[in-house]
Order: sequence, then C-alpha cells, then structure tokens
Amino acid sequence: METKIHEIINLILINRKKNKVDEISNEHHLRDYLNLDSLDLAELTVRIENEFGIDVFEDGIVETVGEIIEKLKKNE
Amino acid sequence: MNNIFYTELNKILVTYNDLIIDINKQISYLFISRSSDYYLTFRNIIISLINNTEIIIIDSDLSDIEIKSLNIQEDDINKKINCTFNKIKDEKDLLERIKNANNWSLTIYTSGTTGVPKKVTHTFLSLTKAVKVDNNKSDDIWGFAYNPTHIAGIQVFFQALLNLNQIVRLFQISNNDIYSSINNYQITNISATPTYYRLLVNKSEIFTSVKRLTFGGEVFDENLISPLQIMFPNAKILNIYASTEIGTLFISHCDEFTVQEELKNKIKIINGELYVLRNILGKLEGNDNNDEWYKTNDKVEILSNEPLKIKFVGRINETINVGGYKVFPVEIEKIINNIPGVRNCVVYGKKNSVMGNLICCDIEKESEELNEELIFNFLKSKLQPYKIPRIIKFVSTIKTTRTGKVTRL
Repeated sequence: METKIHEIINLILINRKKNKVDEISNEHHLRDYLNLDSLDLAELTVRIENEFGIDVFEDGIVETVGEIIEKLKKNE
Repeated sequence: MNNIFYTELNKILVTYNDLIIDINKQISYLFISRSSDYYLTFRNIIISLINNTEIIIIDSDLSDIEIKSLNIQEDDINKKINCTFNKIKDEKDLLERIKNANNWSLTIYTSGTTGVPKKVTHTFLSLTKAVKVDNNKSDDIWGFAYNPTHIAGIQVFFQALLNLNQIVRLFQISNNDIYSSINNYQITNISATPTYYRLLVNKSEIFTSVKRLTFGGEVFDENLISPLQIMFPNAKILNIYASTEIGTLFISHCDEFTVQEELKNKIKIINGELYVLRNILGKLEGNDNNDEWYKTNDKVEILSNEPLKIKFVGRINETINVGGYKVFPVEIEKIINNIPGVRNCVVYGKKNSVMGNLICCDIEKESEELNEELIFNFLKSKLQPYKIPRIIKFVSTIKTTRTGKVTRL
C-alpha cells in the first residue's frame, strides 16, 4: 500500500512537471515538502479513492504522507 | 406517383402507398409505443394522428424499473386504442388528415439532467411550428440521425412527412453503412448532434448530394465546421436551438443566433439564462411551477442588442464546481477535441472532499502517439489550471445517450 501511495504521488508530480521525489517517507509534508497545491491534493484524493475506495480527506485535510497511510490502514 | 417514405440500407423500403395500405389495415395501436423498429414507431405516430387520439412514445430498451419511474400506470402499458378513422385515400388525403389532428397529442419524456424524467406533451401545432412545407423541399431526402423517441427526431420526422420526403435511417448503424446510405439514397439533408458528426468525420469520404447539415441537441462545436465542409462540400451548415419542452426555437448559421422580431417578446435573458414565454411550450407535468416565463437552464451570452444576437454557452446545471470556480465541460471538450489525435471526449467532475469536484476526462483517441503528457502540455497554455482535466482515461468508445449526446458521468 505504501508503495502504491508513493507511486501515485510521483505520478502527480511528474504530470505537473514538479520534481519527482526518489524516496518518499511518511514524514514528508504534502504541501510544504512535496509542494502539492490544492488541485494536486484533489487529484491525490480521487486517485487514492479510485484505488482503495476511501476518501482520505473526508474529515479534514491530512498533512503528511504518513497520515494518508494511517487512514487507509484504519479502514482496512 | 410513388414516393418513398422510409428506408434502411439493404433491409427496408416502404413507399407512401405501402404506408397508407398498412395504416388502413390496422384496427388499433398501442397507446404507449415502445418499439425499437423505427418504421413501426413512425407508423404508430401517423395512425394516432389520423385517429386524432393520444400517443406516448418511450424508448424500447427501458427496464421495468425505469418505466415505473416515469409514473406510467400499469394498465396503460399494453393498452390499445381502437382505430375509428375512415380509410385513407391517398397521399394528399393523408396529409390533410394529419394537419387536422386537433385532438392529437404526443407525449415524450426528457432524460432530465437531474435524473428525474420529465413528461412533456406536445400538440400538432407545438411540434410543427418550425416545420417548413414548400414545393422546393419536395425532393429532400432526410438522413435520420436521431432516436425517434427524441424531440429532435420527431421534428425531423414531421419535416420529412409533411413534405412527403424520404426518411433514411442513419442512427445506430455503422459508419460504413452511413456512408453507403448517403451515397445510395443521395441524401440531401442530415440533422444530428455534434457528437454524431464528430464520430462521422472521415477525411477520405466526400458526399456531394448533401445540401444541408443541421446541428442540434448539444452546444454547437465550431471545430467541426471545416472537416464537415470538406466531407460535404455542397452543404450549408445550420445550427438549431431546440429542447424537448420548447421544440425548435432558433436556427442560425453558426453558434450565433439572431433573435427574430416575432420572438423578441417571447424570450428574455435574466442573469445570462434564457427564459421562454410559457405559451409557446408543450405542456409540462411535474414540479414545474406555472410561472409565465419558463426557465430553460440554458446559459447564453449576449453578443449584441440591436439586433439581439445570442450564443449558447452551456447548461446551468452542467457546470462543475471546482473549489468555487464554475467550469463548463463543453468549453473544455471543445478544446480537447481540437488536439490532434483526439476523436471524441467527455469531461466530467469527480466528487472529492478537497475541492468539491475535480475535472476528469475520458478520451477516445485515433492516434497511438497521443498520451497524457501531450494533452497536459497542450492544455496548459489554453486553460486555467482548475479547468484542465487532472485524470485522463483513454477509452475505446465514449458512451453516448440514446439521443446521441455524450454522457457525463
């Protein structure tokens, strides 16, 4: 699951011509570190929902990669 | 004289004489016509006209659940109406009787953009107000490119019938059959949706018999004009604004509609939305209030006031809200359809909790080289970021509705 999330984030970064990140860690901040804007985050949530059937931003914006993983694990 | 009434390539050929003989033989017709056979649908409409009684037309492929949602009484489903008319003598008699069908009504259902089907009942007058009968139209041959249960199809049917023209089926058949039909029957007029034309365009085919192409059903797509003009070099291209409730209201040469004097006091534009005086509509049923002005949900832009020129920019409830920005899918579709290698596309919003909606797009491509990256790069300079589809899916065929419009998910 973690690998998949990392893949999705990199896909968004590449598509937007933003710098791809070789190693994504759970501590990485989605906006500040990975430089995702609101449209990127909207895309992220839709892609994650398509893959796992869960809207990770449903109850408020999540800040880090780890928080996404946590939410998905909780719903497993 | 033995005019042809209806043809399907290599399958059916019915003359007006055959039609009259067939109608004269009938002792009843189904109150709710639900046939997938175009000829039978047309014949049943004509029988009800001659009988001067009601008819309802619904799609043949509706499920029982869908029929229930139309609020049709169970007793009515197989109800037959007895034919009480005297035998029709000839074509002239047929037309006379049709024109005198004062008690006749035809009911159809709109798909309704909110998902709730709306019942609309038309009279002969409300359906034929835009029909032109003229001697110079007597040789017209109509390519029929709509579903017969759709208002646009019914209008084409009446335009052809009242001029005793030939109708050739061009809907829901393969492109090769469409091309052969146009050539074999020397079709002169085609009316269809932009989506239909988009899928028809083929650079290697040229048809000289067609003298008029009409656009209806969806917002006009000017990108189609030049490829269609090459394919149909002798055709004049017209655009029609019509709806299930109103029938045909405006006709223009492009996407600009000049409002005729006689219509000026029958329409008004409030906050960019078109309103139409109720007495020119068919009868509506349901939660519709009965205000004097009918709200069309069509967004228009005023191009000039004297004379009044307007342009349709989309449906009000078809806007997608992306983080407070309103997006018209039609606007984006037009641009994407202009990318080399794109055959057709549909833009829709995907719900999400970050921005309400995210713009997504399904694309039918005709070139293998086309990929997401090329599309993003093309769109970057043409659209604001929130309008650019973020998720692009390549599909083998874009789903269209029964009426040939693209289906937004």
